Amino acid sequence: MNLTVRMLAALCVIAILSGCVSSRIEQSRTARTGMSSEDALVILGRASYNDRETEASFTECLNEAVGEGRDPLRLVSEIEFKDLMYPWFEPRTAPANVDELVKLFAQPGVRDQIEASQVRYIAWINGDTITTGKGGSLACTLSTVGGGCFGVSFWEQDASYEASIWDLENMTSAGAISADATGTSYLAGVILPIPLVARPGNAACKALATQLKEFLLTEES
Amino acid sequence: MRGVNLKSLVGVSVLLVLVSCGHNIEVEGTIPTPRIAALPVNVGIYYSEEFRSFEHEEVIEDIGSWKISLGEQNFVFFQRLMDSMFEETQDVPEPPLRPEQLVGLDGVVVPEIVKYGFLTPSISGLNFYSASIHYRVTLFDSEGEKVHEWTIVGYGKSETGLFNRDSALKEATVMAIRDGGARIAIDIPRAADVLSWVADARGGAS
Repeated sequence: MNLTVRMLAALCVIAILSGCVSSRIEQSRTARTGMSSEDALVILGRASYNDRETEASFTECLNEAVGEGRDPLRLVSEIEFKDLMYPWFEPRTAPANVDELVKLFAQPGVRDQIEASQVRYIAWINGDTITTGKGGSLACTLSTVGGGCFGVSFWEQDASYEASIWDLENMTSAGAISADATGTSYLAGVILPIPLVARPGNAACKALATQLKEFLLTEES
Repeated sequence: MRGVNLKSLVGVSVLLVLVSCGHNIEVEGTIPTPRIAALPVNVGIYYSEEFRSFEHEEVIEDIGSWKISLGEQNFVFFQRLMDSMFEETQDVPEPPLRPEQLVGLDGVVVPEIVKYGFLTPSISGLNFYSASIHYRVTLFDSEGEKVHEWTIVGYGKSETGLFNRDSALKEATVMAIRDGGARIAIDIPRAADVLSWVADARGGAS
């Protein structure tokens, strides 16, 4: 009996922590890559002035996942890099493509600063997580004789991100990796509200980090 | 005794409401050194007391009172910006300067904050705080004549969470200072008026 209760509790915890997510990753390579142990990568969220842009929490997750675990890469943080290169990587002044990067390198001190920081690659992150649908019905009541929640509500989220990788040594675009993940979260009311939360943003972050490491460390052309 | 307890409870409640409705934000952030070529001129910079200690106070219905102190961060940021933009800088009193005060200077620069504004998610309907700073930068030549006046708007925004409203506005303000500074650092040295002023200051050499 005790074992059954424990197993049930464990299953509930697993269900709450996981949720149902499906993800897909795609990669296109346009140049040879490879990193020495001194080379560093900087991950930058592409800013925009509309209401949607890459969440800071996503680039933080990506930094953590790329800089730790198996084959961690040497990273320079976004704020450190932007301070080093100020005013050239602010939202309204950052190069939009490799041609603009080439022009930027002609500015006094820019190339020297990049070389001193040993940043070999920039990964520009575009994308966001949006809620694409929601439905169901959940009602909670509270009275003098007790209370509870009954029903089910759900919401679907779509996380879509792309990393564009620039090689600062060769001044080329090395390629791009895209990660898409979708997931449906549920809130079931069985007296107590039980959440089954899917985290497509987290799944996209982990998938993109794994692929980014492989992309940069594998010396392919 | 019961009356005293009730009064205390009401007093604490009122205090809590007042505290929860008031936002006192001290803007702090990193101070980068701009990677730009300094113009080969010696300029005086006038920072007014208002610029050095700029504060914005606003009461917004439903979301309370706001006091944003950005002066110190902005002042230190501009000191470093001006030191990078010009070969030599020195603080000067408020223009117009007397001829003897202009000796050795190629010009005088006066940066000012004209207006600061911010939007909260409850006003904009978007999931972030945004801040804007309208700067005015005036350049005078070595004779005290106005060369040009620029109006530059710095803009910043930051995502908000449930418990980080004040830090989101702080970050948006830091970004607005950086954005305004970036425009000043890049656009002003390229302006035609500035290029001809520098050429004149160097005795006609371009």
